[in-house]
Amino acid sequence: MSTNESTMIGIGSYNLQDTYLSPGININYTGWMVRVLNERMKVTGLADGNISRQQLINVEFGSTHNGAETANAYAGFVDYDLGYHYRFTELPVDGLKLLAGLSGRASGGFIYNTRNSNNPVSGKADIDLNLSGMAIYNFHIGQLPLTLRYQMEVPFAGVLFSVNKGQPYYFISEGDTEGLVRFSSFHNKWVMRNYFTLDIPVGGFTVRTGYLNSMYHTNVNEIKTHVISNAFMIGIVKEFISFGGKNLKDTNKYKSAYY
Amino acid sequence: MHTIKPKAMRKHILYGIVLLSILLSGCEKATEFNSSPRENFEALWKIMDENYCFFEYKNVDWDEVHDRYSVQISDTMSQYSLFDKLAAMLAELKDGHTNLISSFDMSRYWAWYEAYPRNFYTELQDNYIGTTYKIAGGMKYTRLANDSVGYVYYGSFNNGVGENNLDYMFTYFKNCKGLIFDVRDNGGGAMSYSDRIASRFLTEKILTGYSQYKNGNGHNDFTDPNPLYLSPSDRIRWLKPVIVLTNRRSYSATNDFVNVMRLLPQVTIMGDRTGGGSGLPFSSEIPIGWSIRFSACPILDVNMQHTEFGIDPDVKVSLTSEDIAKGKDTIIDAAIARIMNPQDTVRIQ
Repeated sequence: MSTNESTMIGIGSYNLQDTYLSPGININYTGWMVRVLNERMKVTGLADGNISRQQLINVEFGSTHNGAETANAYAGFVDYDLGYHYRFTELPVDGLKLLAGLSGRASGGFIYNTRNSNNPVSGKADIDLNLSGMAIYNFHIGQLPLTLRYQMEVPFAGVLFSVNKGQPYYFISEGDTEGLVRFSSFHNKWVMRNYFTLDIPVGGFTVRTGYLNSMYHTNVNEIKTHVISNAFMIGIVKEFISFGGKNLKDTNKYKSAYY
Repeated sequence: MHTIKPKAMRKHILYGIVLLSILLSGCEKATEFNSSPRENFEALWKIMDENYCFFEYKNVDWDEVHDRYSVQISDTMSQYSLFDKLAAMLAELKDGHTNLISSFDMSRYWAWYEAYPRNFYTELQDNYIGTTYKIAGGMKYTRLANDSVGYVYYGSFNNGVGENNLDYMFTYFKNCKGLIFDVRDNGGGAMSYSDRIASRFLTEKILTGYSQYKNGNGHNDFTDPNPLYLSPSDRIRWLKPVIVLTNRRSYSATNDFVNVMRLLPQVTIMGDRTGGGSGLPFSSEIPIGWSIRFSACPILDVNMQHTEFGIDPDVKVSLTSEDIAKGKDTIIDAAIARIMNPQDTVRIQ
């Protein structure tokens, strides 16, 4: 089975709010963000080849300021996502595939307000189970073959780390760790990721352009947080077959410069 | 594969843009930039009402403060007048950790030391440490009284003290009879440095106090006191006599350092009452973009009492005008005498 891999970079906007960093008031910080997204998809041998695996590795960083432009906040997140989708390919629309499944996601990051005293950082760590759905549509404009994809992911259960309202991290280091890990679901967390891509062949390459909208809202331990990003993405796609281990012995299948 | 015409493609893109704009509207309601005096006054009052930690201890009726200052706020006042009014309202709290910070000024309450004797002059200190003292980790240190007394001046707990700095310093003092640890005019900084230094004077793990923070918006919505312990360092420790020198400007993390050091049998606190500042400050902001810092989390002593208004020394010593005129630091002299002649302690007191 071949693997479809893309690495994309994105530039877009951040909209942040965290009431640990601004107790007593809801202040939005806005600014720019950049992200790097690596994606791998492969059809597995499960369910007669009707299940595919998707891996997403995302790294993002941004710089924001308050409305008065008197204070800055930086944010950075890393997340890893592994999902399995059942593939519906026999559909009445030519070129359309629908995928539905579950994914697991682990993410961690921070929002750092450069001006604050004993509440300068709001640390984030989440592990989630997500509902994940995708539509992939292959079509032509003229003679140009294109592939459009929309993916949506929504977590429905998980655990997350959250400092308590008003609690300095110094107290955590002194052993006051009660209530820092919470179960999360729709009652205290609303997260959604919308991912659009369009694959365009250009010469000997396939360029993937895209748009990634990510919305992260939590209300945990009396702290409200949101991290909203919208980024335009661009990168290169490659479809490859990986030979490893015992498959390497079957040299008839490939021509290696090394083996 | 399915083929569509460019015209149909444009239609699909239009639908896509409509869908995106729906998704983009996912922001929660937030307080926008706003320079209205009334709204900024109310925002500041509310932030303090929900998060400041010493209303009851200081017997401040914050509702009454609201009503008294509310009538002084007008929609036409300048931002400078607004700043002064808000600063005056915050000064009602008599809190050195409470500041309003704009791009043109920082409000402060410094009466906790301004109304008291200075009790520290670097010009006098220079007469003892000269110009050849050593500097490590932000500490100035040297030997006094014919190398019999170690002297350390630590002027800010923001100065990063490393474990190696402390090892070399204590090694330098190894033949001294005692140590003077001078934290006068030290306005505080990182409590982790306070712990790091204090752990060098311990023989066993001790209870040093309790921490609390506000987990609700009511004035007394505090967590249960959480015990704070400090363990001895596993590196070089100092168990010979120590005299910690204090004045009113020994504040915040320095107050916490004194709060720990006073528990130790070989330690004497000498000088003036510390300035206090036992609430860890948090920060927030108001819609005009001004930052507010305020006491948020009280650190209680081992008897679960606040030390917000300072800690009395074991031995009260003040600089005398006669000594100042002679270029002498009365407090350093008293500390040297106590280390050199511990039997004369009663006379010094």
